[in-house]
Amino acid sequence: MLGIMLEKMWHKKWMNVCLLLGCILLTATVVSFPIYRAAAYNRMINDEFENYISTEGRWPTMISATVVSRKEKGGSTLKKMDEFPGGFYDRLKVKETYTFCELSLSSTPISSETGRGDAKALSIKLAAIGDMTDHIKLLAGELYSEAGKTEDGAIEVLISQSCMVDKGLLINEYFTFDDIKAPDGKALRVYVKGVYDSADELNYFWQIKPEKLNDTILCREDVFRSTFMGDNVGRYTITSYIVPMFDYESVKATDVDRIYADTKYYMEESPFKSVLKDAPYVKIFDDYNKKLTRISATLIILQVPVLAMLAAFLFMISGQMYEMEKSEISVIKSRGSSSGQIIRLYFYQGLVLTLTGAVIGMPLGALFAKVLGSTRNFLEFDFSQSLNVSYTKESLIYALAAIAVCLLSITIPSFKHSKVTIVNLKQSNALKKKSWWEKLFIDILLLGVSLYGFYSFNKNMKDLSGAVMSGESLDPLLYISSSLFIVGAGMFFLRIQPHLVSLVYKIGKKWWGPASHVSFMENIKNGRKQQLIMLFLIMTISLGMYHATVARTILDNAVENTEYLDATDVIIKEVWTEITDRYGSYTGDYIVPDYSKYNTLTAAKSYTRVFNEAKGRVGSNSDAISTQILGINTKEFGAQTMVSKEFLEKHYYEYLNDLAVVEDGVLLSRNFNTKMGYNVGDSIIFSNSKKKPATCKIVGFFDYFPSYAPMTNGLNPDGTAFSKENYLIVANYDYLAKKWGTYPYEVWIKLNDDATAMDVYNWVNEQKLSVKKYENRELDLKATMGDPLLQGTNGVLTMGFVVTIVLCAVGYLIYWVMSIRERELIFGVLRATGFHKGEIFHMLLNEQVFSGVLSIFAGIGIGKLTSKLFVPILQQAYSSENQALPMRLITVASDMYRLYGVIAAVMIAVLLVLVFILFRMNVTKALKLGEE
Amino acid sequence: MSNESVIKVDGVTRVFPVPGGEFTALKGINAEVPAGTFAILKGRSGSGKTTLMNIIGTLDDPTDGAVYLNGTPIKNMSEHERENLRRRDCGFVFQSVSLIPSLNAFQNVEFSMRMAGIKPSKERDKRVEECLRLVGLGNRMNHMPSEMSGGEQQRVAIARSFAHSPKLILADEPTAELDSQMAAKVTEIFKEMTRKEGITILMTTHDVGLMGAADMIIELENGVRING
Repeated sequence: MLGIMLEKMWHKKWMNVCLLLGCILLTATVVSFPIYRAAAYNRMINDEFENYISTEGRWPTMISATVVSRKEKGGSTLKKMDEFPGGFYDRLKVKETYTFCELSLSSTPISSETGRGDAKALSIKLAAIGDMTDHIKLLAGELYSEAGKTEDGAIEVLISQSCMVDKGLLINEYFTFDDIKAPDGKALRVYVKGVYDSADELNYFWQIKPEKLNDTILCREDVFRSTFMGDNVGRYTITSYIVPMFDYESVKATDVDRIYADTKYYMEESPFKSVLKDAPYVKIFDDYNKKLTRISATLIILQVPVLAMLAAFLFMISGQMYEMEKSEISVIKSRGSSSGQIIRLYFYQGLVLTLTGAVIGMPLGALFAKVLGSTRNFLEFDFSQSLNVSYTKESLIYALAAIAVCLLSITIPSFKHSKVTIVNLKQSNALKKKSWWEKLFIDILLLGVSLYGFYSFNKNMKDLSGAVMSGESLDPLLYISSSLFIVGAGMFFLRIQPHLVSLVYKIGKKWWGPASHVSFMENIKNGRKQQLIMLFLIMTISLGMYHATVARTILDNAVENTEYLDATDVIIKEVWTEITDRYGSYTGDYIVPDYSKYNTLTAAKSYTRVFNEAKGRVGSNSDAISTQILGINTKEFGAQTMVSKEFLEKHYYEYLNDLAVVEDGVLLSRNFNTKMGYNVGDSIIFSNSKKKPATCKIVGFFDYFPSYAPMTNGLNPDGTAFSKENYLIVANYDYLAKKWGTYPYEVWIKLNDDATAMDVYNWVNEQKLSVKKYENRELDLKATMGDPLLQGTNGVLTMGFVVTIVLCAVGYLIYWVMSIRERELIFGVLRATGFHKGEIFHMLLNEQVFSGVLSIFAGIGIGKLTSKLFVPILQQAYSSENQALPMRLITVASDMYRLYGVIAAVMIAVLLVLVFILFRMNVTKALKLGEE
Repeated sequence: MSNESVIKVDGVTRVFPVPGGEFTALKGINAEVPAGTFAILKGRSGSGKTTLMNIIGTLDDPTDGAVYLNGTPIKNMSEHERENLRRRDCGFVFQSVSLIPSLNAFQNVEFSMRMAGIKPSKERDKRVEECLRLVGLGNRMNHMPSEMSGGEQQRVAIARSFAHSPKLILADEPTAELDSQMAAKVTEIFKEMTRKEGITILMTTHDVGLMGAADMIIELENGVRING
């Protein structure tokens, strides 16, 4: 049996290579999705952690516990606490990073033994922090000695810089505790050995920063334990503060639910529940899970069409297999093999192919996932930030499913007659007859259904964005209607394609040479048997176009929106300290930060002062509305901000010019006109948060202005969506300064082209600025583009396109090879009767144009149409609550060129293979074939 | 028609390389077929008939010897010249069905005229109809090959082979798949062609019953001509 099988496989080695390729691709694609999703979620959770670190400056994966043992006999509370971190790590199955553990006595007065009078009022806490010496650097003095005590029995302590400064402790000084005695009843004495600081600035070990330990002196932990705990524990009040911190990088997305549940157990049920608090990662997990539901549903919906195309491909191949094997099966059967034996033969062959396919496909799938993770935009990769991929349980299940499907489709031909094949063998079936779907008007039906979907979604656009905002995922129906539209339109094209070809034939009837003539006739008579492969081609290309547009539109709109809302590169608002009078009440005057220092910010191309009053008011008390007020220097402001003309009635600079020429003029947001009834030329009185008024003359209304969002969309506490009007007044800075006096302003900065956000950050640190508000467009853009939903969408769409185009190429090639093989005799006859090789090629090229090239153009047209119709709806699913600008359909030429490039490469490859086959074809051999 | 031979075969030998040696398919064949002759190439299968036909039809080259068509040696012709010769001056009939499946009977016949460079015209259409009537298919002109019987298809192929008025028709076992009645009819049509249109016809067959119609018989056995 094995021998027959191997012989059979060798005999048909090219078919088997094709099948193997199919198996490999299928396994790899199917496996890559779950691998990618798992890796993307891992990155997402990791990003959440790192985001927390960078905004909060704290370790995210930690939990803190505090207990106080008040002279407790036996000290069982403290003992239990000592076991807490280990048990916590074990139960959560996480890796310990640091365990911060502070044991301290209560704060009590101490006296300097040198009798310094100024040290008399000192109140100090003696404490020990485990593993502290790993995380400090010594600023002065020495570290602990081995014993941790001086020769005369005083406990050695280290002090922080702040302790030294604030409490005035000195190195080498001895202190005696006034109220606490040593266990032996003698005076408790400490000796200041040195001054420490955190080993480096970004050290998350320090749950209490050294500068906050200004009333704490630290001794060795073992000294603390032996002196105040153990047998002596009943004589002291000891506070134990333990913070286990675990490694967040090794937390995988699949661990989230488990860790979450275990943490809940600790906080709600465990014996420690009353002493535990502050586990920041619980909130992070909550946020993550919220995002996850939306993203995972979206990604799954997006990959459905690809999986459907894969299934369709296998279906075709399977039918193809049957047609090819039909005669062979009957030969084997006629020699006396039973059906069972034949099925087994095919089953074993399938087993060999699928298992080989799986062995190669699995690692290839991981590679695919990596490529997916490097997608920056549609068909655009950035391998610098690649994804860490690994197999998950889910991916193995997917792999098994892929193997089963492959195996089935290879074995099925041996016992089932599948009617759909790439080449419908019975030509008489194809001749003139309409396809079943044409008779049933399936294409019209699909178009109708999808357009109905389009219509109803279009009508309910607002509900849609509301639903998305409330955390719902992409409505599958929405995505399905666009897919149905593509299928329907593709089929409709197939319906009219034969008429198109025959029209062209009739127009040029007089000029067609023999080769063109025969290819026209071939297409008009036999064109329908190519419908399946043509539909495949059309769908691949139009889906590709559509997806490229979706990806580009979503990304560019998000970027454009962020750029608009941030308005300029960097915004800094320093802390303005308000001056108080001698009674302590505010005077309304401020200590004005030095503005001239911005001269030293070499990274800045320009900078300008801007009043940005969020709590302005217009009108009297009862009908007052709150508004944002901007006070700008029009010239400087215009030099660093811009609003695209598409969103405005006239050029942005013309608005600024209108404002510049009227000293007390204001520009108002459109809703002042439409909702409040103000008109150009009217006066408007508004005031800042200090109730200082200004009266201005209205010079114009705008729809958009840098940083201005006309509406705020959000969710009410009950989960319903709301949207609120925002108002903005833009006035001249100088005029407002005159009316408001000294008032806090922001500095808006445009950076040099080669400057980065880091340059500004460093400058802020150098200048030791106290910053109240710091906005950085570079970081915001990075966050926008790094949004996992965006990235995942790009990844899945790109992957889907690459896979379908490969399948399409393989399918197309198989179709043409079969079609040529089938017609070898006719080609031989034509050659024998004097057809030139070039004419045969010309003929095949014509056929390619009728099927392939026409399909490609149809695909491009349908793709464009689908994008125009559905992208505006689909992108609602990606809109965020801070979407300010109206979203636009964006296509970038380079995206399309990339797409065309891929298609052209595939078509050229197919053509080359055809030429190769053609030139190897031997006329006499081909004819002989017919004589057999 | 000139008295010159349309086909002149001069000492043609054809040797094929086979695994472990050579196989001599034809050994020093000499033959001349005058214009307007209906000649039959006779012999059992494997006697070298098809090899000789291929060489005369410029599809293959002799290992030794020469072939002249209308007095022109084909040896020095380029591939392209040969193809032009085949499409203008030759007609072919093959053993099995050789019609283009996507063209109907009329179009198949018309196609050989197209290939010979005859421009579309009323005359051309008339000629097609005339040829199809000649083979007895005047009423089936619009039928597709798949709608016709094997004999009918073969008659369309014959009509196709002479529609463009070639000098020579090469027919390789055209009657092999036909019943004897049909075979006789086909042979009769060939015979008529030579009379009516002065076309030279070389037909291979092993059917002894058809020999009577021939003006000339060339008999091969194991690659050697055994008559004349």
